[in-house]
Amino acid sequence: HGVLRVSEVSKSEQTQQKELRQIEQYRELVDLWQITEQQYTVEVLALTSKLLNKNPEYYTIWNHRRRVLQHLLSPPSGTSSSPPGPVSSSPTPRTTHDLIADDLRFLIPLLRLYPKCYWMWNHRLWLLQQSTDLLPRSAARRLWQEELGLVGRMLTLDSRNFHGWGYRRVVVSALESQTLASTLQSDSTPQNGEEATAQGEQEAGAVSMVEQEFVYTTRMISTNLSNFSAWHNRSKIIPRLLYERCVSSIMRRQLLDDEFELVRRGLWTDPYDQSLWFYHDYLMSIMSPSVPAEAAIVLDLTDEDRRERLRGERDSVEEMLEGAEDCKWIYQALLQCTAQYLGLAVKVKNGDIKHNAPDPEVKNNMRVWLEQLKTLDPLRMGRWDDLHNALQL
Amino acid sequence: MSLVSGPGRGGSLTGQLPGDLRLFVDKHVAYIQSLDTRRDELEYWLTEHLRLSGLYWGLTALHLLGRPDALPRAEVLDFVVSCMHDNGGFGAAPGHDAHMLYTVSAVQLLATLDAFSEFEQRVAGGKRSIGQFIASLQNRESGTFAGDEWGETDTRFLYGALNALSLLNLIHLVDVEKAVQYVQACANFDGGYGMSPGAESHAGQVFTCVGALAIVGRLDLIDTDKLGGWLSERQLPNGGLNGRPEKLEDVCYSWWVMSSLAMIGRLHWISSEKLAAFILRCQDPELGGFADRPGDMVDVFHTVFGIAGLSLIRYPGLEEVDPVYCMPKSVTDRVLAR
Repeated sequence: HGVLRVSEVSKSEQTQQKELRQIEQYRELVDLWQITEQQYTVEVLALTSKLLNKNPEYYTIWNHRRRVLQHLLSPPSGTSSSPPGPVSSSPTPRTTHDLIADDLRFLIPLLRLYPKCYWMWNHRLWLLQQSTDLLPRSAARRLWQEELGLVGRMLTLDSRNFHGWGYRRVVVSALESQTLASTLQSDSTPQNGEEATAQGEQEAGAVSMVEQEFVYTTRMISTNLSNFSAWHNRSKIIPRLLYERCVSSIMRRQLLDDEFELVRRGLWTDPYDQSLWFYHDYLMSIMSPSVPAEAAIVLDLTDEDRRERLRGERDSVEEMLEGAEDCKWIYQALLQCTAQYLGLAVKVKNGDIKHNAPDPEVKNNMRVWLEQLKTLDPLRMGRWDDLHNALQL
Repeated sequence: MSLVSGPGRGGSLTGQLPGDLRLFVDKHVAYIQSLDTRRDELEYWLTEHLRLSGLYWGLTALHLLGRPDALPRAEVLDFVVSCMHDNGGFGAAPGHDAHMLYTVSAVQLLATLDAFSEFEQRVAGGKRSIGQFIASLQNRESGTFAGDEWGETDTRFLYGALNALSLLNLIHLVDVEKAVQYVQACANFDGGYGMSPGAESHAGQVFTCVGALAIVGRLDLIDTDKLGGWLSERQLPNGGLNGRPEKLEDVCYSWWVMSSLAMIGRLHWISSEKLAAFILRCQDPELGGFADRPGDMVDVFHTVFGIAGLSLIRYPGLEEVDPVYCMPKSVTDRVLAR
């Protein structure tokens, strides 16, 4: 992707020779790896590093790197699982930690060069899983915590990197799990109700990170309003946030209003911003009666509540037209608001069209908005024609 | 049946395009044929890890261009078989580990070559063992699929599994209901789907999720208008399609977006004429092949998806592509006995 074309004719003799040498070097490395494939030593580990630096998409080498690491991380030879061949000195817990931590650290530059390489993110997850399985809880936790820092930096570099966001979700989930739950040092006095473990340490329960993650999305959005992925993640966090806060209906309604206010402020600054309209759509759709309780923001909205909010939104959005009459998103939002308001659940499923006929003034408004859409957005004419028919205008 | 915007069928699409834009069929055929001979290019060696998929992309493109015999059948079949492991999985090339992605490409190649019986002769119980490899990668709790023993999960692998198993007529080896539940867990309020639950909608993942639902006959679970709307917004003023909001156009989205629209009957929600013009501009008229966008380096991945996109919008002279499988419809009709 994104590599500029170079006319083949213009490749000089020098360039061709250079390329042939590169091919030779690369193939030598691969040959060397194939010869040493049955050896699981640090030397072979270094060989895989060389290959992966040249070609991080060579997934078989990642697999082999893990096989080598597995061997180096495993108990001393003599167990049935060890393959024959030279074996490094038996790993002590510190060496195990270093093997894992070193690999995590060593691969950071490569990750920064290839932040969209599936294999690389997956390898890191494997390493972290090894830490959970093989290291003392606090050491493993520290590594996972460091990864959270790393993925935060990667997302600062590219906030749209979906690999990063997916990885972040997994890391947070691990840190929230009972398996990695924090322990306190034995020199503090036990609190009531907490039991001391055999080593004199206290166990805390698994701790939710949903508040921090919500704040993280707020931070990303304030840095850059047009941060689509951050808005998306915010939308995913909110239902769980509300559930865990155990808040009243009033607080839930407050949050909904606050979120509308947040996105509206952004839209006033830039009504052409797609990310903001996306979040606005989310807030409107989350009020729908068909939204299941686990995904809803307000659990006890009445139809009158919905109508009031949609009326308010429609008015607010209509005001945005001033100075932005050519902004197609505004007309789309107006149509959406109105359709929802009228309970015009326009479903064209298996040929069935369900609708309620709106009053003439509203119908006229919708006609005008739809005409604007067709003028401003002819690419999607087929869609606007279908909408016209579905709304029976 | 999928609909096309504007005049639609046959030659009238070309009537809408600027005169200098046309499909350089012979150049593309020559380009694909030359791929295995480019051993003096570093890129050839650096892409060995996807060779089997590259072969599937190349062969599919040739079929759609109406040149199914442009690659030597026996050699292609030999190569496919050489990638097989004892566990029933296929690697990208000999010496590469077995992985779902290449196993799926292998099955698609065998289907396209109409070579299942020859394959069974060469590898007794071969189809069954492929099916078992794929089935072993399903997480029976969550319903999703890993790519291999190392555990990476992604809806790409779920789609791939259902694609291959349905072609092998072995879909009963997996828990379809659980797979469907997982797909639904990946649905977002905007109508789209992400790579895993909680992930933002992405056209590639939309294709895999919608394709998976299509294969198992559960398109009813999709919010068609919402998804159609989200997909239609992928078209940019230059006619090209992007993969998600505020991203650049890329010719491969001509496939991921358009096939999804085709599967939900909303192809007419974007402008075919502008898309066709964009796709054609991504060609290298001298050397053949398509690039991600005009002026960039071509590769076989973008070549097949550009051509498949053109086939979906009925560009003249192309064989019909099956939007669910990204294979010639004549092949899937035959294999699925429709």
